[in-house]
Amino acid sequence: MAITITESSAKHWALRFVGVATLAGIAIYFASGAAPSTLGKITEACTLAIAAIALNLLLGFNGQISLGHSAFAGLAAFTAGYSVNAWHWNPWLSLLISCAVCFAFGMLVGLPALRLKGSYLALVTLAVAFVWPTVARKFLNQTVKQSTLTGMKLKPPTWTGLANNRADRALFLFWLSITLLIVAYVVVRNIRKSRIGRSLVAVRDNETAAAVMGVNLPLTKTITFGISASLAGLAGWLTAAQLTTLDENSFTILTSIKYLLALILGGAATLAGPVVGAFVYYFVDDLLKTNAPHWDFLPGPLSNGPVASFLLGAVVIAFVFIAPTGFVGLIKSQTRRIAIVVPRPLRHSTVAEASVEESESP
Amino acid sequence: MGDILQYFLNGLARGSIYSLVALGLVVIYQGTGHLNFAQGEMSLFATFGAWWINDHGVPLWLSILLAASFAFVGGGVIEFGLIRPAAKKSPFAVVVVTIGLFQAFNSLSGLLFKGAATGLSFGTIFPNKPKDFFRLPGGAVWRYENIGVLLTVLVITALLFLLFRKTKVGLAMRMVANNADSAKLSGVPTNKVLMLSWALSAAIGTIGCALVAGINTNVSLGTMFGVFLLASAAAILGGLDSPLGAVVGGLSLGVIESFVTNYPKDWWASTYIGADTATAAAFVIILVVLLARPSGLFGSTHVERV
Repeated sequence: MAITITESSAKHWALRFVGVATLAGIAIYFASGAAPSTLGKITEACTLAIAAIALNLLLGFNGQISLGHSAFAGLAAFTAGYSVNAWHWNPWLSLLISCAVCFAFGMLVGLPALRLKGSYLALVTLAVAFVWPTVARKFLNQTVKQSTLTGMKLKPPTWTGLANNRADRALFLFWLSITLLIVAYVVVRNIRKSRIGRSLVAVRDNETAAAVMGVNLPLTKTITFGISASLAGLAGWLTAAQLTTLDENSFTILTSIKYLLALILGGAATLAGPVVGAFVYYFVDDLLKTNAPHWDFLPGPLSNGPVASFLLGAVVIAFVFIAPTGFVGLIKSQTRRIAIVVPRPLRHSTVAEASVEESESP
Repeated sequence: MGDILQYFLNGLARGSIYSLVALGLVVIYQGTGHLNFAQGEMSLFATFGAWWINDHGVPLWLSILLAASFAFVGGGVIEFGLIRPAAKKSPFAVVVVTIGLFQAFNSLSGLLFKGAATGLSFGTIFPNKPKDFFRLPGGAVWRYENIGVLLTVLVITALLFLLFRKTKVGLAMRMVANNADSAKLSGVPTNKVLMLSWALSAAIGTIGCALVAGINTNVSLGTMFGVFLLASAAAILGGLDSPLGAVVGGLSLGVIESFVTNYPKDWWASTYIGADTATAAAFVIILVVLLARPSGLFGSTHVERV
């Protein structure tokens, strides 16, 4: 028999507290002892998670597919890298500007999305992702006059007490990426739990019905596109903070596909899904890349070359069958056997008023 | 004038290949409503197979046919073994499976065929000597290879249309495309029809990929990226559920691409527009068309009930 826990009760808060404390503990554990390369990997996984969160807002909650998020991330990364290097802007200012640029550009891409759905929308956004490397190359050739753009070389601010060496920079980027991941998570969580979030889901489930209920379709859809794009921009800015050089191949269609896979593996339309999915995807990929070449038990030709990428494809397909609703869906269905969180019962006053009205109506 | 004709003819040859691959996409889409992201890589894998068979002394045309029949079987097996069970899971599942297949097939080609990443030389089944062309008025030349590609595509398209219009199997496919539930109620074996669509699509794609490899004179892991992208664009331009649309979309995209690549070099300084921008331009045109007609030029629109 499963234990029932009422939402927002003391027990529920205690569980939440334990969960958050565990995560914080893990983060502090890694921050205190891990090698810079490990911290770098976690930073990259956090970046992927932010991008997957961005895509989740659009695809999971609003039902609009986008394969163009790599272009948004690329746009933000280039804006940040160029403004910091060429105009000597403050990196933190460039963060705001990059997100704003992505918001505007996302709204623009969201406009055709008003008329297109499903595979048609996938293709138009795919086109955006496809065009980005071309634009980036033109920009590099014409404006920067170099084959690569230098990254931001973000230095830890003095108040953190961190020096500007490799280990300290890795530690700084690690905490920065976690902070930004929490920001992105909270933004999407608050949108989801608010009136706007409910209208997003209504639009996803049935546009016509949502419009009849008074949801402003064009505004809701384009603004969602904009917010999602600016969150992808956050991921792009973070990439520009990590990489020493950027070029047109930093953000390709494959990047978009990676975002999509991370989201769907974790579980679309759940809040934790994109985060879990990004970490699972990143570390499965990493595990395969580092270990697969050493696996002797694989048959001859499989044990060398691009075996990791083949196995990743196979893992992705296998995942669809093991956990069709994503990793979070799998965890939820398993924990449901142990404990169930039930919504808070309605306050008595509401019920009483309703019954009074009922008795008076005839 | 001769230039214009020349660009048109070159575009027609590439465009015919786009329309062939697009037809493969449409055959699957109209039955299931799924866009097969792995289409390009599945046929690429089979084309590497054709290269391998040819490498063992079998004539090229026969190896391509053998590879296409292998792809036919493989396509059916993939539908039966992966796509059908995935479709029962969740709406995203099929998308993820096809993306997974995309990755798996591409890297499998790299694993099994040494030198696939840099490119293996691939012959053509058409006469391809420097002097194999017709001279047309205005100085344009029409190469036999281009004519051959165009004719091959036209013959396959004609055969497909005959299949759709004149045979019982084709009728069943059209019924499933129109309304899968009613088709099932009228006794159409929907599952077999869907399996056949995937098989056909894989075989068509393989021939398309082999033709591309023939024009490029080599086949590499990246061969199908651009072709698939333009073919899916062509299918969407024409309307994803219309075979005629796929043909028209493919041919027009090929011609547009050819003009954008070559023509503006003279007047809008090549710094602004060039070969790599051609695809971008093609996509802008598609965007404009889709804004006017959201389900493509020939696609059917559905009225939804609330």
